[in-house]
Order: sequence, then structure tokens, then C-alpha cells
Amino acid sequence: MRYIFKELRRHLWRTIFSIIGYAIASIFILIILCITGSNKNDSFGILQTTGTHFIAYIPTNASCCSSCSSGEANGSVFAEGVNTIMLDRDLLQTIKYTEGIKDAAPCLLYKMFNESFQSDISISGIDTTSIATRNNVCARTNLIAGRFISSDPDEIVAEQSFAVAHKLKLGDTLNVFGGKMVLTGIINSGIKPVKADFYAPIEIVRSILKDRLQCNSSDFDMNIILVEVSDARMQDAVIRHIKNMMYKFSVSTYNCYEPAYKVMSIIDKSSLGLTILIFIFLVIFSAKTQLSALIERFREIGILKSLGWSNFDLGTHILIVSFIQSIIGVTMGLLLGIGAIQIITNMKIPLFQYIEFRFQYTSIPLLYCLSLVGAFIASIFPIIRIYRSKAGDIIKNYL
Amino acid sequence: MSNSFIECRSLSKQYKSKRQTINAVTDINLQVQRNEMIILKGRSGAGKSTLLNLICGLISPTSGTIRIGDKMINELDDKSLSNLLLTQIGIIFQSFNLLPTYNIYENIEVALAPKGLGHKDIQKLVLPYLEQFQLTDKLHLLPEELSVGQQQKVAIIRTLVKQPSIILADEPTGSVDDETAREILEYLRYLREEKKVTIILATHGIIPDTFADRVFTIENGRINN
Repeated sequence: MRYIFKELRRHLWRTIFSIIGYAIASIFILIILCITGSNKNDSFGILQTTGTHFIAYIPTNASCCSSCSSGEANGSVFAEGVNTIMLDRDLLQTIKYTEGIKDAAPCLLYKMFNESFQSDISISGIDTTSIATRNNVCARTNLIAGRFISSDPDEIVAEQSFAVAHKLKLGDTLNVFGGKMVLTGIINSGIKPVKADFYAPIEIVRSILKDRLQCNSSDFDMNIILVEVSDARMQDAVIRHIKNMMYKFSVSTYNCYEPAYKVMSIIDKSSLGLTILIFIFLVIFSAKTQLSALIERFREIGILKSLGWSNFDLGTHILIVSFIQSIIGVTMGLLLGIGAIQIITNMKIPLFQYIEFRFQYTSIPLLYCLSLVGAFIASIFPIIRIYRSKAGDIIKNYL
Repeated sequence: MSNSFIECRSLSKQYKSKRQTINAVTDINLQVQRNEMIILKGRSGAGKSTLLNLICGLISPTSGTIRIGDKMINELDDKSLSNLLLTQIGIIFQSFNLLPTYNIYENIEVALAPKGLGHKDIQKLVLPYLEQFQLTDKLHLLPEELSVGQQQKVAIIRTLVKQPSIILADEPTGSVDDETAREILEYLRYLREEKKVTIILATHGIIPDTFADRVFTIENGRINN
């Protein structure tokens, strides 16, 4: 090690030049990683949750509860225009804890003929606290008048299009679903997989079916499972997994996740491509520096070989010198790069106002790894050259 | 296998360029006994330096073999050859081959570096030689700051600190004044007689024949007894 440090000190300018090279490359990589990382984080923040919801249900050709379809109520649980069977809580729990699923919630969607409106009306029983509900049915932010769904069994919220069609106003008392209910809110849920004319907490809808309408079913847990996936890139896999879990499942999604997934893949690939390009640049630069340094002192190496230094001794020597230069260079580059990022961020330089520099701490080990790999690759060629040359030939040819 | 210490058999070395092939050494057979001192005499370009480089494995022969003790030099791997150069063979180059950016002490110290000796052990080995050759006060100077004679002495010390059993000296007195030349030759004689070192000297004629046990003349890469 003594000779390695002596070597670094002895050829001080060459050492400084190499270190500066590594430092500049590191600053460059750091800034690029900061910009691409920030962009990636921001765009992924949006894209990751784009279209990451879907609903699952099991269609059937008959109503689940005989008294609903054949009795006075003449209703049925349904989804996307078809009758469905009831699903139990155990199945919901299993889906909820499946890998890649962020949240799963129950939904009870029921329709029946109503004398007052002279048409079928539907009600969706939901769990308002769930993110899966917000993305698949409706959210508090969809409220346009009155107040959002409450736990009061005599209150109900209507979809805006239904309310407008039937000239409903807040405070109207409606004769619906086997009882009288007050219209307390109007929402516009937008385009969602589960649409209904009225919304209420799932417990209230369960109670309506069981107690008011006296439907005959083993239970009234839910007929639709609302699912929110953690990442658009996992959605395909999650849907496949759920279908494998129960082959009768019908899964409905808007497929918005597909373009999001594609855009994320493009960002991922271009970010990786840019990193690889910079890495190649770093390797070429350091290989050139190491090779130039070797040519400069090749005669010395021949003399050292003639004194009994083995190829291994010399190779190790070159490798460690290269590693030390790269580590010092990266450390300097990191400090200067962080300083530069701070200055650019704090000074609000107009040139960079549209670029957000967010320091990526994960880039520190990455930079060290890249530069060590670069230093290793850069040393390989000089080392091969040493192994292939005889001391006498070196001394003779590099006089 | 003969009982000689160093043996060259049918040794040839050709240098090929695009235009021509140069026979630096041709079909040389040479045997050197342990503790013998021989002189290789010849004009510049006769092949003396090439032969010395072949004997110590610094270059590979085009054909033929070199044996030192029981080791076939041209068949040794890098590790074994390095070990041999580190412990048994000392080379004094015609052009000294000192490292220009190392000071005098470091130039000598570097020859012991692969042995993994400690700083104090190296000092114990180096300082007596520096004293003997009156270079103690020049320790921190660079080679270019020394006279040619002093540079030659440094090159010799660098060889001697390894305490080799064979010394290959290429024109060791070629660039120095008569006084220094006499001093160097006397020291080589001392090494041969007291330290039982085997010595091969290459010279273009300055060293008297009586100085060695045997004298060989090299002409156009061929040896004449």
C-alpha cells in the first residue's frame, strides 16, 4: 500500500487529472440521476395509480334471492346489467391480502321496480372509508350538493343524472326500497365501474334488503368486490391471480392502467438507458486515463518486472490505484454535485426553473458501485497488457 | 543434464519486423559453473545484452533452452520467474534503469518491495550499502541529480540488496570513470570470492580478460570460446 500512495503522490498531476475526471463524471451522473429521478418520481406518482382499480363479481342467470325476483320486490343484486351471486367476507379478506392489492372493499348493488318512478331504480351499498370504493364507485369529492353519505338509515344520496331526470331536490322525501328516505345529497360520480341511482352505507343497504324488503338469501355481505391495485404495472398479474383464485369471477376494468404501464416502462427504460450511457462514458474515460497513465510509465513497469515484481503485484497495484482514484473522485463529485444542486435549487436560476433537482440518496451507493466497476474495467486493459508483455521487451521498446 | 549451474542450449533469438528478421543471438551453447565469473566480450550490437536478457528470462528465446540450477527459465510461469528475479538473480543494466521519479532510497527500496519486508528491515539492508558506496547523503536526491558514476552505483546497490546468487552485469563500467570502474570491479570480485556469487559480465572490452575465469567473444550473435 505504501507504494500505491507513493505512486499517487509521485505522479500528482496525473492523479489529480484522473480524480477530476471521476469527479466530473460523478457530478454529471448525479445531476442526471437527480433530474430523471425527480421526473420519474413525479410522473410515477401520477401514473402508478392510474386505472389501478377494478371490480370482481360472479354473474348468474337468476336472482340470488328467490323472493326478490318472484315476490313483491321484484328486485335482484346485479353488476354491469347482469344478475350476480352473493359473495362472502372470507373471500373479500383473501383478496384484500393478496400481493399487489392495496385495498379491497365490499359493494352491494341492488335494483328493483319502483312504482313512484315507474322504472327500475338501483342502490349501491358501499364502505365510504375505502380507497377501492372511492375509485370504483364514488368519493366525497364527487359531492355537488347537500352532504355526503351518512349512517342515518333514513337518508339517501342520489346520482346527479337520476336527480335531474326525476326533478329531485335536496330534502325531498322519497318512497323507495320499501320505506321513506330523505334525499340529503347529490353526487356526480363520473365514469366508474359501479354506477347506481342511489348510494348509502353498505350496512343500511343490507338492512333494507333483509328487513324492509325481506329478501330471502343466506346472507347479504356483498355481490361485488371493489379492488384497488398498488401499482399499474402489477394489475395484469393481480387480475390473473384473482381469476385463478375463482375461475367464475368476472373482472371489469377500464384498462387505463395499460397506457400508464406502458408510459412507466418507457420512463424506466429511458432512465436506465441514460444511466448505462453515462456509465459507458465513465468507463471509456477512465479506461483512457488508466491506459494513458500506463503508457506513460510502461518503462517503469518493465523495470519493476525485471526487479522481481510479478504480474499479479503490478496488476493489483494498478487496480488499487484506479480504485483509490475513483473513490476519491466520486466522493469529491458527490460533495460538489450536492453543493451544485443546493445552489441551483436555492438561487432559483431562471435557466433551471423548469427542472426540478431532487437529490436521490439512493444514487450514492449506485455512484460508488458504478465508478468502482468503471475503475475495474478501466484497469483490465492495462493489466492484460502487462500480462502479455515481457520485461525485456518493455524496457527495450519504451526507452 | 550437465552439472553446470547455468546452461544455454541452442539458444537463438530473432526479432522480426515487417521488413527484415534480425538474428540477435544464434545457436548459443554456454555453460557456467557455480561461483564462476565469466566475461562476454563483443562490440555494440553483438548480442551480449540479448543473451543476458535471455538468461534471466526478461525476454523469451525464439528457440533453445536456458537452465539455472534445476529450473528451465523459458518454461517458468510468471510467479516462479518473478520469485527467481526477486531472490536469486540480480541484473545490472547498461542504462542503469533507475526510476526517474523515485529518489535514491526509493529506487533501491523498490527492489525489495515484493518481499513484503517492513520499513525497518529494508533500512537495515539498504543503509550499509549506501554507506559503503558513499551515497548516504544522497538518499533523497533524484537519479538525475547524481553523476553517472553515482547512478551506476545506485543500480548496483539495487541489485546487491536482494543478495542474489547470480549477477548479470551489462557494461557495469561502461559509463563511469576509471576510478569508479576499478571500484565496481573490485566489488564484483569480492562478491564472487567472499559471497560465492556467480557473475556474468558483458563488456565491449574495457574489462581485462584476467579479471574473469573465462572469456567468451560474441560476434553477430554467435559465441566463440
